[in-house]
Amino acid sequence: MVVEVRMPKLGLTMTKGTVKKWLKSEGDRVSKGEPLFVIETEKISSTVEAPASGYLLKILAQVGSTLPVGAPVAYIGEFGEALPEVTPPLPVSEAAKPVEREAEAVSKPVTPTRVRATPRAKALAERERIDLTAIRGSGPGGLIVEEDVIKYLHEVRARTKSGLRVKEVIPLTSLRRTIAERMTESLRSMAQVTIMREEVVDALIKVKNELQQQIEKDTNIRLTYTPILVKVVAEAIKKFPIVNSTLEDDSIKILDEINVGFAVAVDHGLVVPVVKDVDKKRLREIVVVCNDLARRAREGQLTMDDVSGGTFTITNLGMFGVDAFTPIINPPQTAILGVGRFIPKPVVIDDKVAVANTCVFSLTFDHRVMDGHTAAQFLNELINLIKDEHRLRAVLSE
Amino acid sequence: MSGVREITFVEALNEALLQEMERDPTVIVMGEDVGVYGGIFGVTKGLLDRFGPDRVVDTPISETAFIGAGVGAAAAGLRPVVELMFVDFFGVCMDQIYNQAAKMRYMFGGKIKIPLTVRTTIGGGVSAAAQHSQVLYSIFAHVPGLKVIVPSTPYDAKGLLISAIRDDNPKMFFEHKLLYGVKGPVPKEPYTIPFGTADVKVEGSDVTVVAVAYMVHEAVKAANELKMNGISVEVIDPRTIVPFDKDAVFKSVKKTGRLVVVDEDYERCGFASWVAALVADECFAYLDAPIKRVTTPTVPIPFSPVLEKEILPNAEKIIKAVKEVVK
Repeated sequence: MVVEVRMPKLGLTMTKGTVKKWLKSEGDRVSKGEPLFVIETEKISSTVEAPASGYLLKILAQVGSTLPVGAPVAYIGEFGEALPEVTPPLPVSEAAKPVEREAEAVSKPVTPTRVRATPRAKALAERERIDLTAIRGSGPGGLIVEEDVIKYLHEVRARTKSGLRVKEVIPLTSLRRTIAERMTESLRSMAQVTIMREEVVDALIKVKNELQQQIEKDTNIRLTYTPILVKVVAEAIKKFPIVNSTLEDDSIKILDEINVGFAVAVDHGLVVPVVKDVDKKRLREIVVVCNDLARRAREGQLTMDDVSGGTFTITNLGMFGVDAFTPIINPPQTAILGVGRFIPKPVVIDDKVAVANTCVFSLTFDHRVMDGHTAAQFLNELINLIKDEHRLRAVLSE
Repeated sequence: MSGVREITFVEALNEALLQEMERDPTVIVMGEDVGVYGGIFGVTKGLLDRFGPDRVVDTPISETAFIGAGVGAAAAGLRPVVELMFVDFFGVCMDQIYNQAAKMRYMFGGKIKIPLTVRTTIGGGVSAAAQHSQVLYSIFAHVPGLKVIVPSTPYDAKGLLISAIRDDNPKMFFEHKLLYGVKGPVPKEPYTIPFGTADVKVEGSDVTVVAVAYMVHEAVKAANELKMNGISVEVIDPRTIVPFDKDAVFKSVKKTGRLVVVDEDYERCGFASWVAALVADECFAYLDAPIKRVTTPTVPIPFSPVLEKEILPNAEKIIKAVKEVVK
C-alpha cells in the first residue's frame, strides 16, 4: 500500500514547515522510523522519520518548499504501485525571497489539500467544525479515522489558544452568547460614562414602610424597592426626556414611551424584563407587573415581548453587598441606573453627625447623546425625589 | 420454553420434519435415499417407518424429475420438502427451481401457491472436492422469487425449517455439512423463527462481523480470541439471506463504524459483496474503515485438505481482517 508522508505538526502552534533537506532520494529503500527528511519551523528544526517501510517512490516537496501541516510531501510504497493522483504540492517558496513568498504561499489556500479521512471521521469533524487538514491520520495509509478526530478534539480542548491548560470547558449557552454579544456591542458602539452619587435613603425607606401594608393588602405581594425605583425613575425621566432616547443614524430620537427594564439574575445569566408605560401606571399596577415578570424570569417563562421595548434600565446589586459599579447600557437605550446596597453610615445632617441609611446610585450614560452636566442633573432630580418624602409620597400614592 | 435439551443440528432438523409431518398430512418428503437409508446425513431418519412410502418418497437419481415433481405437488396443494443431496448438483435441475418454482405464483397472478422447500447441503472443509464442497447460496439469492435460509445452530435449524414448511412460497434451505454434528439447546415442542430476523450471536462495539451458516461459528471463535486482544466484535447472523435483515446490520454498523462480512461462497458477485454494497450505500457516513470481506476465492474447491484449508475462510482470516480495519 502506498503511504503518504505528510508535513508533521510538531507543536500546537505549528501551522507550516519548510523542507530543509531530504535524507533519502527517490527510489531509496526506507524503514519505518528511519530519519527521512529535515524540516524547519518558526521555532525549531527537526528530523522527520519515515512513517512506513518501503521505497521512497516520489518526493513531492522539494528542498526549500514551505507547506502547511498535513500537506503530502512524499510517498512510500512498493515499486510498481500506482501513486494516488498527485496534487501538485502547494506553492513552493524559493530560497531567494523566502519571507514574502512564504507568507503568500501559506495564507493563500491555492491548492486545496485533499484530506483522506473515513466518512465517519469526516462526519464527526463536520459536526465539531474541525479542519481535518490539521489532523494526522493513523488509519491504513494515513487515513484519518474517528479516533484521530476524537484525540485531536481532546488535545485542542485541553489547551487554550495561547497554550494554557484548561480545567473545564463550558460551551456558551445561547443566553450567554447573547449577553456577550450585546455587552461587547454596547461598549464598542457607545461612549459610556458612569457618574456616582451616595445619598441618604431614609425617606425612601420610610415611605416604603408606610405603603407596605396597604400594597400587600391590595395585591397580596410583598413590596420591594424595585417597583418603587421603577416609578421614581420614570418620574425623573419626565423632567429629563433626553435620558429616555435612542441614537439612530444622525439623530437622537426622544421616546414617547417610558418602559423601564430591571435586571434579574437567572441561572448562568441575566434577563431584563420590561415594565411598559410606567408613567401611565400606578404603583400597585407596577408592583403586580414587576412581581409577575420577576417570577416568570426565574422560571424561564418570559416571552420576547416581556424583554423587548425597554427605554431605560435599572440594575440592582445591593443585595449582593455591592456599593457602586459601572453598569453597561442595554442598547439601543441611552442610560442605565445601578443601585448599590443600603447601609447605615455616619452622615452630616444639619451640621451634626448622625447615622443614616445610604446608597450609591451609579448612572451610566451615552456621552454621544448627552454631556456630563445633563446626566448629573438627571441624577440630581432622581435623588431629590428619593430624599424628599413628601414628593415621594405624592409620586407613589398618585 | 419447556423441554429444552441439547441435540445435534441433524436431530433438530429431523425433529422439525417429524413434527410438521405429524401436524400436517400434506407435508411430504422426497429425494435420493431419504427413505430406507434415512438420508445420507440422517436428516430423514425414521420418517419412512413412521409415515410410510406415500409420504416419504425415495426417488431415482434424477434431480430434474423429483424437484419438478415437488413443484407440481406444491402447486397441487401439498407441502413437499425435497432434498437435493448436494447444492453442487443444482445445475441439472435449476430450471425447475428458478424458472418454475420461483416464478409460477407471480406469472399465474397469485392463483397458485408453491409451498416447496428444497433442502440441500453446502460447504467445504470435508475434503469432498470441487463438485461436493460448494456453498452457492448467492446464486439462489440472486434470482427473484426464492427465499434463502441459512441456519447456523440447531435451534435456528429447527425453527427455520418449521417456518419454511409452513411458508407458502418456494424456499432454498441450506444445511452446512460441518454443522450436522454441532449440538445446541433446542426446545422439544415445535416453534417458528420469522424470516428476515437476524440474531446477534455476540455483542460488541468495535467491529461488526456478519456471517452465515458455518462461518458464524468461525466468527464467534474469532470474536472470542479478539476479545483477549481488547477488540470487541459484534457477530450478526442474518439467518436468512432472502429476506435480509438490513436494519440489524445497519444498526450494528452505525454503532461500530466497521464491517467485515464473512462468506464461504465464492468472492465474485457473492453474498459478502452485496452486504458490503448495501452498507456502503446506506451507511457511508458511519463507516470508519474500509469494508472487508472474508470469502472463498473464485476457484474450484481443491480436494487436497491443505489447499482446501488455504482457500476457505476461517477464524484466523477473520481475525486478520478485523485487525486490519481496527488497525
